[in-house]
Amino acid sequence: MPPAETTYLEALRQALQRLLRERPEALLFGQDIGAFGGAFKVTAGLQQEFGAARVFDTPISESAILGAALGMATMGLRPVVEMQFVDFAMTAVHQLLNNAGTLHYRTGSAAPLVVRMPCGGGFAGGPFHSEELEALFCHMPGLKVVYPAFPADARALLLGAALDPNPVIFLENKYLYRHVKEWLPALWSPAPLGAARVCRPGRDAVILTYGAMVHEALRAAERIHSEDGGEVMVLDLRTLKPLDTDAICAAVAATNRVLIVHEGWRTGGFGAELAAVVAERTFHLLDAPVRRLTAPDCPVPFAPELEKAYRPNADKIHEALVEVLEY
Amino acid sequence: MKHGVQLTKDSALALLRTMLLARRIEERLIRLYHQGSIFGGVYCGCGQEAIGTATTAVAGPNDLFAPCIRDMTVHLGRGAQPLDIFRQFLGRATGPMRGRDGNIHYGNLQRGVYAMISHLGAMLPVVTGGVMARRRQGRDTIGFAFIGDGGTSTGDFHEAVNFAAVFDAPVIFVVENNQFAYSTPITHQFRCQHLVERAAGYGIQGVAADGNDVLALRDIVAGLVADIRPRPRPVLLVCETLRMRGHGEHDDASYVPAALRAAWEQRCPLLLLRQELIADGLATEAELEALDAAVQAEVSAACEQALGDPPPNPATLMEGIYAAG
Repeated sequence: MPPAETTYLEALRQALQRLLRERPEALLFGQDIGAFGGAFKVTAGLQQEFGAARVFDTPISESAILGAALGMATMGLRPVVEMQFVDFAMTAVHQLLNNAGTLHYRTGSAAPLVVRMPCGGGFAGGPFHSEELEALFCHMPGLKVVYPAFPADARALLLGAALDPNPVIFLENKYLYRHVKEWLPALWSPAPLGAARVCRPGRDAVILTYGAMVHEALRAAERIHSEDGGEVMVLDLRTLKPLDTDAICAAVAATNRVLIVHEGWRTGGFGAELAAVVAERTFHLLDAPVRRLTAPDCPVPFAPELEKAYRPNADKIHEALVEVLEY
Repeated sequence: MKHGVQLTKDSALALLRTMLLARRIEERLIRLYHQGSIFGGVYCGCGQEAIGTATTAVAGPNDLFAPCIRDMTVHLGRGAQPLDIFRQFLGRATGPMRGRDGNIHYGNLQRGVYAMISHLGAMLPVVTGGVMARRRQGRDTIGFAFIGDGGTSTGDFHEAVNFAAVFDAPVIFVVENNQFAYSTPITHQFRCQHLVERAAGYGIQGVAADGNDVLALRDIVAGLVADIRPRPRPVLLVCETLRMRGHGEHDDASYVPAALRAAWEQRCPLLLLRQELIADGLATEAELEALDAAVQAEVSAACEQALGDPPPNPATLMEGIYAAG
């Protein structure tokens, strides 16, 4: 019998469970995360195991959730809060940008808090349940931004984020919750933030990506390989801030051609930052212009036909890769 | 004896001293601003000194404060020294925020005081969370969350008061109704007769108070503290007052009717306390003059010292954005 595989969602749950077991100062709160286990069930069973004092529901008050978490963090607690959808965090963005992000710089007080935010589309969630807002958070000084693509990384990085002394935006991809599984070891450690990972080696081009698009990129790279033996590297950034620029430069040096893929919008998207890093640091290594494949500057549409046209996928990545490789 | 809390000569003079310090520091800050020594702005609490003074006078060492724009007496009442305040407004490297933020945006968590950010209402959930944390840690903390009449119109005010109510967090939401939010009068800020009516909508107790009578206010706050410390729950305390200067020193407050200003000038909190101390025989005019002179000397010395302190080194620009570890 093959060893059981663990979903991305279950991996996140395991990280929270271990955090609550090992850190008495840790607590979880947010909308519907208690007995109900959260809109996506990431916190299922945790209130039952750890009690309503440590895992509890709040009113629908994003700013109060984030502000209270900041206050608790300044007093030595280690809150991990959930925004039910990243889209809803926009009602309270000042608590992240102006309050949490500036706190240590202004006052010297640490704020060890994690804000978990389900992101992304692909399931007809429409304009307000499908957004990808990592570029906004990466723009804010004082925050760290993590976006795992695999269950093992989700588990290790969530615990690593919770043990970090800074406010961490932890982005979870809703599509990956139940679509990605892998075998996870029983013994595991929290991962430090800030390290990318080559999840497919290659020498002909590199795809710089993160989140759900890592899996689409892997499919596209495999198709290139099966078609003509091309070797396309996929670099999963895993942490967007601090960004592993050394890994990016090494990947460019090894491949000389770059495709950047993300599910968020194009203008001012995180891909623009990646393209700038590549241009500033590795211009002399490039054999082709840097290419970006992103969502268009368009609200996330509802109808599956429209969303398919909107969202990058393996086919679109393949098409872009061919252009990059043939340049 | 009309005071619920025993009024001794020492405690009364301590109240007056805190208010005098704030007044004299602000007078000096205004001068420094007009001389061009202070960049950015100066935002004064002149006329509102009683509110921070009364609340800090009855608070305990574990209590948490989130002062707002006009609450220098909260900082002083929690142990900030005039030197800290001058260094802060002058943006010195030695100041509490080390030049990373200016004027009223300072605090000291060792003394239980959060540094406010400019977004009104944003600190209310923060201090609520801080109180919830300390309660979980077994301490008897209560919180004092300050906001103005204008700040009650923010979403954060609503979210925080409701949040505290739902979790029975012992926070006194102190509304300083100083009648104007920058230039906007309260008639353009809310439609209820009195802001204390809002308490009913949150299912919490609401208390209206005279924000300029420091002794009466101290008694009210002492009663609330005695009540909610053992039986935790939030309270809305609405203090009526008037901002006696502009929003900042760049603002001449010409929108404040002269008659309103004149009426509140007669109710200056320092004046009221001085009159009461003399009427009660707790102090003489000469003693009060001597106190003022001592305060003035302390303020002058602090100002001179701060002016001689160094500005932040530009090489430190990128230091401390993240906590290490």
